[in-house]
Amino acid sequence: MKFRVWWALARGVILESIRRKDLWVVAILGFLILLSAGALGVFGIDGLQVFAKDLAVSVLGLFSTIVAILTSTRLVPDEVRNRTLYPLLARPISRLDFLLGKLLGAVLVTWISFFMLLALTSLALMFFRVTFEPIMVQYVLAKMMGLTLLCTVGLALSSFMTPPAAATMGFVLAFGTGMITRAFTMAYETVDPGTQMVFKFVNGLLPQVGLFDFGSRVANLGWSPVPGWVMLALLGYLVVYGGGMLALSWMKFRKQAV
Amino acid sequence: MSSAIRVQNLQVAYRNKQGKNVEAVRDLSFEVSSGEIVGFLGPNGAGKSSTLKALMGFVEPVSGTAEVFGLPAGTVESRRRIGYLPEVALYYPYLTPVETLTLYGELQGLRGASLKKETHELLELVGLGHALKKQNRQLSKGMLQRVGIAQSLLGSPDLLVLDEVTSGLDPIGRQELRTLLKDRQKQGATLFFSSHELSEVDMLCDRILLIHEGVLIDERPMGSLKDELRHFSLTYRGSTNLLNLASEWEAVSECINRARFHDKNALLKAVARVQGEGSEILDITAQEGSLEEFFVDSIRRAA
Repeated sequence: MKFRVWWALARGVILESIRRKDLWVVAILGFLILLSAGALGVFGIDGLQVFAKDLAVSVLGLFSTIVAILTSTRLVPDEVRNRTLYPLLARPISRLDFLLGKLLGAVLVTWISFFMLLALTSLALMFFRVTFEPIMVQYVLAKMMGLTLLCTVGLALSSFMTPPAAATMGFVLAFGTGMITRAFTMAYETVDPGTQMVFKFVNGLLPQVGLFDFGSRVANLGWSPVPGWVMLALLGYLVVYGGGMLALSWMKFRKQAV
Repeated sequence: MSSAIRVQNLQVAYRNKQGKNVEAVRDLSFEVSSGEIVGFLGPNGAGKSSTLKALMGFVEPVSGTAEVFGLPAGTVESRRRIGYLPEVALYYPYLTPVETLTLYGELQGLRGASLKKETHELLELVGLGHALKKQNRQLSKGMLQRVGIAQSLLGSPDLLVLDEVTSGLDPIGRQELRTLLKDRQKQGATLFFSSHELSEVDMLCDRILLIHEGVLIDERPMGSLKDELRHFSLTYRGSTNLLNLASEWEAVSECINRARFHDKNALLKAVARVQGEGSEILDITAQEGSLEEFFVDSIRRAA
């Protein structure tokens, strides 16, 4: 029963996004990738499959992350600012259902733009006669989970700060967590046990989006698919961390005066 | 008659931009019976919208209680029975009125063919039959208000809570709205609305609640208020003295006098006295008092 409520809200987010031409930006970007790949193909740059695939997954990762952050950090603040929230909350739905419906919409918009880019990038890679290996399927699945995680982070951030601040923080977390984790890892053995605990704690708080990125495996040849338990572990991480982010948003929003 | 709304000692406060708590509603108590049309009046910033928001659960009261049909206000169960029109009605700009009502209808629990039928019927009813395929951003303010009114009527709610209901509507739209709301009342709905348009209140309401600075300062049935505000004027030629009967008495010219009465019985007695003493009655008029005057006087007294 609740799914109908979530779907009704999500459909509104998708329709608005399509008509606002948000996804057109993604389509134009994809077209530009296609065009440049075609140009490179005409000039006959053969043997650069690895480079081309690497570029493709980087572009995919970058732009789908941007869409995920920008869409999710605007969800609730835009509703409040535009006063479209009142007729929605006047309905017999809980605030949690409202958040879940809006989050579902953001996730679907992000997935749609990811698949649009993926389709156009795959088409572009055809100019290089690039073929994908089975790990590509896992890359797509992991990316979908990673984008979902980012959407929950964006939603949580926007509950506590303004949309521009939330978007900035979202980008810092999405692109900076990997660097911070690497720095912690490198410094781990050189610090005292107390600091090691702090490293572990901070690392646990940060959204480990990098775990969901199989881009380098896809780009380089000869990588076999990861074991099934890895995918399950990623799903588990998404459920726990994403659930935590959603719980934070709900705790802030459930009694908030609007 | 059972209560549609019961508010007791309600207190609502906001935190302003400086971080200070500002009391919007203070110790407010009132009741609205099922089937009534009640106008909620007050100057800007009186606490009308805050009260309505507390009824809808958009703000948590600091203290006091609000109930809708015996259910705590703001709960999912109470909202199931309410149709709400916000003060500033804005809807998703890139959706059409049909899509907008479909979305709200689905959230209301309506489905399939019956929702489609009700959506189209309501949009026809509010005069938007010609604009079904336009996006909301292409509609005028008045047309958006009609979308808002239509969405508030979805699912035939038992209680309509309408904030500044006539805002943006032209005179024809207002007349149509009055008819529509009266029809809903005949079908058993209760109407509770805030408005600055006193003429609308005058024509629609069974009762008014007057609020100022978060406090209820007056509460009257419209019938008795109209009686109270109505006054009669008697102009006659002659020397009959009506000072003890009239509320005002003045000499218009050397032998013509005019007396004013709030009470119809006093007028009848005065007529009898004038005729009995051989004076000549020149004119008798009844004038409806202005709700605006009552509103302004009440607010001034309370200030």
